Amino acid sequence: MKRPFKKVLTLIVALTMVVSCFAACGKQPTATNAPSGAPTSPANPTKAPDDSTPAPTEPLKDTFGESPELAKLVADGKLPKVEDRIPVKDDLFVERNDATGKALEIGAYGGIINLGPAGGSWGLSRPTLESIIRYNTDGTYYPNVIKSFEYNNDYTVWTFHLREGMKWSDGEDFNADDITFWYYCVHLTNFDGKKSWTALHDGDEDFAVLKKVDNYTVTWTFKNPKYPADFIENGDFKWCWAPEHYLADMIPNAGSYPAVENEYYKANTITDEQALANAKAKNIDSGTVKDLGKAISYNSWNVAGIPQLNSFVLSTQEGNNNKDADLCIMERNKYFWKVDAKGNQLPYVEALHFHKTSADGQDLLMFRSGEIDIVEIGMQDIASTLADLGSAAYLRTFASTSWGSNQITFNYTTTDSNYAKLFANKDFRQAMSICVDRKQVSELLTDGFLEAYQCAPSEGNFGFDAEWGAKWTNYDVAEAKKLFEACGLKMGSDGFYTFADGTPLMLTFLTYDGTQDTSYPVFEQYFKAAGINCAMKNLEVGAFDTQIDNNDWIAVMGPHTSIGGLSLKSRVAPFVPIAQAAEWYGEYGTYYQTNGEQGVKPEGDMAKLVELYEQWNSTPDTAKRDEIALKIYEIHKENLWSIAYLEAAGTYAVVNSVIKNYADNLVSDDLYQYANIVHYEVLYKAQ
Amino acid sequence: MEENTNIMESETAANPKKTFWEGLKDFFGKDLVRYIVKRVFMFIPTLILISILVFFVIQLPPGDYVSAHIAKLATEGEYVDADYAREMREDYGLDLPVWQQYIKWVKDIIWTPTDSTYYRLYHSHHNWKFSFAYGRDVWSVIKDRLGLTIGVTAIIMLFQYLVSIPIAVYASTHQYSAGDYISAVFGFIGTAVPNFILAIILMYLSYKWTGNANVGLFSSEMLENGIHLYNFGEFLKRMIIPIIVIGTSGTCGIIRSVRAQMLDETARQYTLTARAKGVSERKIVMKYCFRAAMNPTVSGLGGVLSSLFSGSTVTAMVLNMQIQGPVLYKALQSQDMYLAGAIVMIQAILVVIGILLSDIALAFLDPRIRYSGGNR
Repeated sequence: MKRPFKKVLTLIVALTMVVSCFAACGKQPTATNAPSGAPTSPANPTKAPDDSTPAPTEPLKDTFGESPELAKLVADGKLPKVEDRIPVKDDLFVERNDATGKALEIGAYGGIINLGPAGGSWGLSRPTLESIIRYNTDGTYYPNVIKSFEYNNDYTVWTFHLREGMKWSDGEDFNADDITFWYYCVHLTNFDGKKSWTALHDGDEDFAVLKKVDNYTVTWTFKNPKYPADFIENGDFKWCWAPEHYLADMIPNAGSYPAVENEYYKANTITDEQALANAKAKNIDSGTVKDLGKAISYNSWNVAGIPQLNSFVLSTQEGNNNKDADLCIMERNKYFWKVDAKGNQLPYVEALHFHKTSADGQDLLMFRSGEIDIVEIGMQDIASTLADLGSAAYLRTFASTSWGSNQITFNYTTTDSNYAKLFANKDFRQAMSICVDRKQVSELLTDGFLEAYQCAPSEGNFGFDAEWGAKWTNYDVAEAKKLFEACGLKMGSDGFYTFADGTPLMLTFLTYDGTQDTSYPVFEQYFKAAGINCAMKNLEVGAFDTQIDNNDWIAVMGPHTSIGGLSLKSRVAPFVPIAQAAEWYGEYGTYYQTNGEQGVKPEGDMAKLVELYEQWNSTPDTAKRDEIALKIYEIHKENLWSIAYLEAAGTYAVVNSVIKNYADNLVSDDLYQYANIVHYEVLYKAQ
Repeated sequence: MEENTNIMESETAANPKKTFWEGLKDFFGKDLVRYIVKRVFMFIPTLILISILVFFVIQLPPGDYVSAHIAKLATEGEYVDADYAREMREDYGLDLPVWQQYIKWVKDIIWTPTDSTYYRLYHSHHNWKFSFAYGRDVWSVIKDRLGLTIGVTAIIMLFQYLVSIPIAVYASTHQYSAGDYISAVFGFIGTAVPNFILAIILMYLSYKWTGNANVGLFSSEMLENGIHLYNFGEFLKRMIIPIIVIGTSGTCGIIRSVRAQMLDETARQYTLTARAKGVSERKIVMKYCFRAAMNPTVSGLGGVLSSLFSGSTVTAMVLNMQIQGPVLYKALQSQDMYLAGAIVMIQAILVVIGILLSDIALAFLDPRIRYSGGNR
């Protein structure tokens, strides 16, 4: 009776083992090797009007270095020689310095950099994406994928010059046709779902007119002046190209996405279903054409097989070819268009390996085990990790551009008149700020790692003001109580303030996804000790956003869109009430976004912010724009619509000591695309 | 002695002794077929009820996949306008009333017509829909980890039964001996300590002693190149912690229940009679008591199929095991309702099938259990 049962079990186990054993096969990792580069004549620095690319220190020679793996493929006739894979010498991008301006070491080829999970839809792009321009940590920028750009006197015509001989990762030429294809067939059709990008808008209704001047030159023409802030510096405008040779048969014209017909493109007859079928034939799964469009023409680095200009491209190897795989592999782009100062083609390492983890802390554990080379680390783990690993690891710091941490804010557009009146009173905000002992908070939450601070730009950032950072940070409960009473609050018999009419005052702090579970209890004791009754309501992030959008809230701890940031150039919405984005301006933003149809009309200083923003947006001159930005900052300093309690926490990474060229004192910001500022293509593994 | 044994064996004296195959043939008689058909018909309302529950429970949290997705994009610095969100909801059918979404979901799983886009693209009549979070066909997401999940869970289960049953038999036949106490102590510890805590402790110890926490079932090299003979040892090494963690908790449960059942059986009248008639202790234990004691264990096998499919979710997450459990967790977390719905639904179907199989196995094991009322 037991025999059949045993047999079945044995069969299942045996089959599983056999299947697992033969599940995959592939190549073995190879050893690291020194570059074989041999530079010759001068490289042409890609100059732009405000180009900050450091001048070349040594001319390039006529021959170029490449990794031994690629050299072998060349020798076997499987790959063109390096000179035919990179742009012509004068158009090469020579990478000599890191984002802080420090000279890079000449690296060694080979090895793999192991990283933690790829994360969300942008995860794979952070270490690999190559965009139109690239920023240094000081905010200066230089042309990156494009060789150079220029604009006419009235800012109505922008010209992009491309790099001759530059190739997609599959070896096809990259030229002006890929830009016209992207613009007219992918972007203006909204196939990428990003037609709303303002960078290419021309006034309220129109869009820029793109012309191909020659194979390596395009112009963008606007009827209205298009200033740098809203074009080349616009954080959304990261790329303007797509590989026509690969994508053309996946873009439907006959249905959801009518083509913009012009001299470059005529409508085809591809239906939605045909587009999905053509994608399926290329192993691209999509449930809807909308998803397909976004997948292949927006977050295209997540789709194996799509040619890229990035330093690394997603492997097509089954099992390693998607960001959710247990091991996701981004392979070196064999046609990458950057070289080091000695003329060695970048990147140095063969691949980036992203290891999926399923719980917090596993990546750090894997780093300690040597399975991961670079990992982001919380400040509480830094000391113990470095102490345990000694010289086997080093720390890298990314300064934050946030305006302080542990922010709280209030609903200034709440429909409850008692709360609206109270929040409008600056004394209340001051009292809420000074009733907390920041030093003790720091000890409790960060082991004293972070200093007391206010909601203000951090040191080293644009607009830094020490006085602002210290404003309302002195701990004084007695003074706070005086201020509360000056706001008309009355102390109730239960030790908590009520409104003047006797209505209980209860600050219910909305939070999301448990992000404040640790910090709220710390603040609660101070607020309650000062007589402010409070509670926390934690929601799933989608529900949180809905409640904010519905104006159904009183206060927030840890806002989803915090006030401030790197600068207005990075993203305007956190600074001025112009979108339905940030908690601190609530319905004022809705008013601007809906042209006054919905929301609450801003008044006083809120209205001034909007006026100044409109001036800023229509000012081409950088110095004048900075002047206006500082006026906006001054209003924030005066009002402190959000209160922060500690300085902004930076981002920290621990790095395996064998990894070289990892810059220090970087800045983490959306404009810089976070980890993209590390420039992974120049990292190498020492022997 | 032999004579006495034969007396016991004539317990079914009315029936002449049958070979195993004859018994099997009898067993799969009309009664069983009728029973199975009846049970299969009972599946239908059960599964309908389960599917309704599954679908509506998944819909319970506020918001939907689109709102969760947009919020996630916002944390990555990407903002989605309201029109785009509305269009996404339309495309995914999230703008429809829940009952309509449910009917469409079930209908497409049961039968997707040949002239549908899905069939033309995937050549399957069973459309489990698309996983929003993975951007792939739900079935392909499930299939990715199915083999491994079954393999790993089967190995662990095999470990559980192979280890626990002999220990339980030993403990019951040596009641209050040192061995019994030792197995009881380990049994209670294994049952009482949550798996995930044991997993963390073992990972810590592994890191302290070997410098490697053995996170995950596969090394990076295996994930890239597959499992071969040369790296099979490393794979087995990485299986140690999961087997100990998941295996011990299950093992302890089985030891306690089989031991208790065995003690119960060894005190019964028929055992005493057999013993009085001089049947060997070994035969009493193995042929009679053990067989009867296995009933609860076999009836508990109903959940095995479902466990084979899903694995152990929390432990799998802590140990970063590449099996189905964490996929379900992620799907629930991101409100990826079709993926979560499919996994829970398949689990439910497997539980129902598993219970049927365990009932059949139970009847096979214990002749006293019959299917029709008349024989009961």
